[in-house]
Amino acid sequence: MSESLAVRRAGTSNIASDGLASSRESTAITRVHQVLDAFAARDVHGEILTAVRHFPAREAQWVDFPAWAHADLRTAYAGKGIRQLYSHQAAAAEAVHGGKNIVVVTPTASGKTLCYNLPILNAILESSDSRALYLFPTKALAQDQLAELHDLSQRLENRFGVFTYDGDTPSDARKAIREKGHIVLTNPDMLHTGILPHHTRWTRLFENLRFIVVDELHTYRGVFGSHLCNVLRRLRRIARFYGREPQFICSSATIANPGELASRLLEANVEVLNANGAPAAEKTFVFYNPPVVNRALGIRRSYINESARVAQEFLKHELQTIVFANSRLHTELLLTYLQQANPHGPGKPETIRGYRGGYLPNERREIERGLRDARIRGVVSTSALELGIDVGSLDAVVMAGYPGTIAGTWQRAGRAGRRSGSSCAVLVASSAPLDQFMVRNPDYFFGSTPEHAFIQPDNLEILVNHLKCAAFELPIAPEERFGDVDVPDLCARLAEAGFLHQAGEHYHWTHEAYPADTVSLRSVTSDNFVIIDITGEPKVIGEVDFSSALTTVHEKAIYLHGGEQYHVEHLDFKERKAYVKRVDVDYYTDAIRYTQVRVLEIAATARDSDSSHSHGDVLVRSQVVGFKKIKFFTNENVGAGKLELPENEMHTTSYWITLERPLLESLPFTVSERQSGMFGLLHALESVATLLLMCDGRDLGTAIGERPPDATAVEAFSPARMEEMVGANAKEFFEPNLYLFDAYPGGIGFSEPLFRVHDLLVQKTRELIRSCECDQGCPSCVGPAGDLAPRTKDAALAILDRLCA
Amino acid sequence: MAAFTDRFSRISALKPTRPRPSGAELLRAPHAEDSLSRLLGAGIATNRYGQHVLVRNWFSSPEYSEVSDVSLDLLSHGRDEALSRRTRAALADPSKWLFLDTETTGLAGGTGTYAFLIGLAWWDAGALQVEQFFMRDFGEEHAILHEVASRLADRPVLVTFNGKSFDWPLLENRFTMTRSIAVPRLAAHLDLLHPARALWKLRLGSVRLVELERHVLDAAKLGWHREEDVLAALIPQHYFDYLRGGPAEPLAAVVRHNQMDLRGLAALVGKIDALLRSDASSEAESLDLFGLSRYLQRRGNSQRAHSTCTQAIGLGLPREYDRQARRELALLAKRRGEHEQAAKLWHELASDESTGIYACVQLAIYYERRAKRLESALDFARLALAKVRRHKMNSLDPAANTRSLSLEQSILNRVARLEHRIRLNRVSPALPMAAPEATLGAGGFVPVSLNSRE
Repeated sequence: MSESLAVRRAGTSNIASDGLASSRESTAITRVHQVLDAFAARDVHGEILTAVRHFPAREAQWVDFPAWAHADLRTAYAGKGIRQLYSHQAAAAEAVHGGKNIVVVTPTASGKTLCYNLPILNAILESSDSRALYLFPTKALAQDQLAELHDLSQRLENRFGVFTYDGDTPSDARKAIREKGHIVLTNPDMLHTGILPHHTRWTRLFENLRFIVVDELHTYRGVFGSHLCNVLRRLRRIARFYGREPQFICSSATIANPGELASRLLEANVEVLNANGAPAAEKTFVFYNPPVVNRALGIRRSYINESARVAQEFLKHELQTIVFANSRLHTELLLTYLQQANPHGPGKPETIRGYRGGYLPNERREIERGLRDARIRGVVSTSALELGIDVGSLDAVVMAGYPGTIAGTWQRAGRAGRRSGSSCAVLVASSAPLDQFMVRNPDYFFGSTPEHAFIQPDNLEILVNHLKCAAFELPIAPEERFGDVDVPDLCARLAEAGFLHQAGEHYHWTHEAYPADTVSLRSVTSDNFVIIDITGEPKVIGEVDFSSALTTVHEKAIYLHGGEQYHVEHLDFKERKAYVKRVDVDYYTDAIRYTQVRVLEIAATARDSDSSHSHGDVLVRSQVVGFKKIKFFTNENVGAGKLELPENEMHTTSYWITLERPLLESLPFTVSERQSGMFGLLHALESVATLLLMCDGRDLGTAIGERPPDATAVEAFSPARMEEMVGANAKEFFEPNLYLFDAYPGGIGFSEPLFRVHDLLVQKTRELIRSCECDQGCPSCVGPAGDLAPRTKDAALAILDRLCA
Repeated sequence: MAAFTDRFSRISALKPTRPRPSGAELLRAPHAEDSLSRLLGAGIATNRYGQHVLVRNWFSSPEYSEVSDVSLDLLSHGRDEALSRRTRAALADPSKWLFLDTETTGLAGGTGTYAFLIGLAWWDAGALQVEQFFMRDFGEEHAILHEVASRLADRPVLVTFNGKSFDWPLLENRFTMTRSIAVPRLAAHLDLLHPARALWKLRLGSVRLVELERHVLDAAKLGWHREEDVLAALIPQHYFDYLRGGPAEPLAAVVRHNQMDLRGLAALVGKIDALLRSDASSEAESLDLFGLSRYLQRRGNSQRAHSTCTQAIGLGLPREYDRQARRELALLAKRRGEHEQAAKLWHELASDESTGIYACVQLAIYYERRAKRLESALDFARLALAKVRRHKMNSLDPAANTRSLSLEQSILNRVARLEHRIRLNRVSPALPMAAPEATLGAGGFVPVSLNSRE
């Protein structure tokens, strides 16, 4: 997206003359402008609208259908009103036709499905044996595509069969799908547990498999992406067994490294097509920072209320609006506000609807239709509507909170934008550090490339699990490759452990278990805790993963679920169950966790003047030792408790900064201010790191520890908890390491990239803290002021100044 | 580098899930590869795919018994008429039958589950010829599959116990995995699990082959006993241990277990035929007869189903099944149009706890439609209503309560309709349908449908 002119609309220029009557008649463009003016009018101090950017309309780049396109296929598309292609669609079709693996990078609603449907359907019409497998990250997306393909199939007199194959597919329909499906739409999880281990049932598909479509490629990053890469290794292996080397067609939202991600996932050369030929309407992008109500503590007005207010402004001007919230709870809250503000007529259906996972498929289809034919004026959604579900285009998008990534923000913003007229996207910032950084540094958002997506498919924990699945599917031959590891050595180890047996040269699966069942692609560990509500009849109300279980459902914790408070009565660690009772109290609990990091092996170190940064293998030991009770609103500490929970040990990779003695001694601060400053700095570093890595905040862990005299030395640590560090009699760190480690056993590939972007990381962290308006620290920069020593912010900045020097 | 070697020890996916076979004394001596053959008197056979172990035995029991046409018709009956006819034709020649039972490396299915022992059997010289193909290692799989394919070419009618959902799909996978031996084509596949379940589930609860052997085949009388039979759940482990140099003895037991299963399977054919061929099986147990009647009914032979059911009731059934049987009988009578007969049976059941509600509803229908006695119909409808309400009150099962609720609603509708019709008859008996709406009365239910289908 090109950098464009910032338009700051001055106060009350042209709304005064507009009466109600004329606004009803005015076009969408003027109505959008009226709303923008209304925002500007509220912003008397010029601190609410931190950016107003205008993107001019763009013409479509039209190209004829390729000459090789089957006449019937052209007729079918013509019947849908498509007689010409956008330039990027034609380029994609041509590349696929030429046998290349491609990744098409396009914004929302630019006709990407045609990029793969056209060449694939053409191939099927040419040779009815051809088969294709489409992978979508969610079932809903597959359903959406099914409708589109069904329509094309009918226009082509059912000359090809298309089916979804997922957990909902009835067992009596499965046989027909395996035989008759030219195109099978599924998801990675089903491929992993349902198709690959039963490939002999799918011989028709595999013997003729020519194309594999991977839609929404950018969703496969981190742990999920690393799993998918291994699933694709298995898929290609099975295809090879049936004599096939399928071609890959991927689509991705805009990220910094689509080509790199695609070639890492597919382990093949992939051509990147990122010129977009679809038209776009005029669009305005607004950053909206809720007004400050307490400057000293850095407290702003609730971004949820402000989002509702912004959305209401659009709805009032009869602009069809979508509101994105980052959680289910917020979706429901915003929905309630907006429905109350827009009462529907008696006997008439609601005009404001919610949309999220958990709604029934029929209900979702109905909402999607309602949006397309404008019966529904507003919708409040979680990220469910962010992916390519077809709801047509709307007039306005309101994002309640930063979606977490630049790519995600553009994708949500892309929901607004009719072919003609004008549209508007508003990002309402919460007080989280990332949100505040973005709205205060709009040039960073609009100017820089979106995030990188990283995967680490050779993480041994992940790879070995998939190697087991692969052995189950097909004996492993001696010369086989599977990622960048020593396959024969791993097979020998698996044989030693009883999973495999070498017969002749091949390794065969020798276990009663079905290995795919024990590997979940989506969660870090399949070892979840169930939450059981025993207020009345016992019932399961939720699940938490292993690592967060220790901090959120330990005994006596207050667990929040669906807006209700629950007191944890008992944690059955062995059975992985937490028993809770509903309560109504005025406090919440915060677990006290000790984390220790030991450096095992340094992969690389770079020296700066009084500091250094490194990455390498570490051992992370953590234990939840107690908890605090904290009163709502006042954040007073109203009690504490000790806990005895098992210690958790994890071998992973980490990036760290070492602050050397001369640096620390040169700082004009007391010991406790320095210590506190380091923790504040780490808090901000973590926020910026998740931003740069395009990862979930939970994917990274942090800790501070004393730098050991040398890497192989015995651990020398103290508990890394702030209270102990900043207290009066705290022991001072001599030369501390500030760790940012991968919160997944074996590491997921964040450490090396962080090491590479070290300079950018410290620089952006400095900008974040410096531009924060609070006095002594707030949740948006170095952490809440109450937890910190005075002058924390200054100390953190002083350290950063030295690091940037 | 210490860190690097440590890395593997931390990977949970590499951790064994069970201890290795322990004790050196268990290991086979070198060059004792054929210890299994010695234990079983088996030989090493060779075909173009290589070697495998072949265990061949002829057993004098069970003896061959011809299967009647009646039984063949019933056994080949399926949803698809054309398919049933083809199956029937193939089944007609017992010399084409091949009994099959496999021992596998797991029950999970999928391409990583192997059949390491495939047992086949056929009628020969008035009794049973058994051949078992065993792979000493994965390298011998093609060889044993080749043998199975060639046996099936001669005898394409497969007879199994649960083979339709387990053994045969698994073998199909194995054949496909070879990429060289085609999946053999079957002329017919007779899976005895389904008839066995229909006939004996009521009496035995479980229809595992071992249970059938003990309680149906009268194993003791045949002189069969499974001494030191292996636990089925341990079979994969015995094989894995053997692969890694563990003892052959447990596998010899697996081979005997497989033999017994094949003989049981062959004997079962005779037992099923004996029950199916005539309705005058005087020796049969009453519960088996009741099972048979239901099996016959499902296959569309309601005539025989009726007589068999009557016979079962005559022999005396446990109370719970007696009620069920009478209910089936009443329904059979109703279906044949013998409404009085059916009503007689419903009367017997009306007071029963579990089937009472249904019986009362049926009687209400009978009196309303057939006997045209609306007052009696209303009495039974009200009785049904009282019963269903009592039932609902005593039940804790939410699913059952939902069912009760919809049943209650339909009975309420019926009561309302009957009350309405009775009132109409009182007002103007000559023109029952033309009554003005005003006569509906204060608490009047609006009749839901006067012509609702019963």
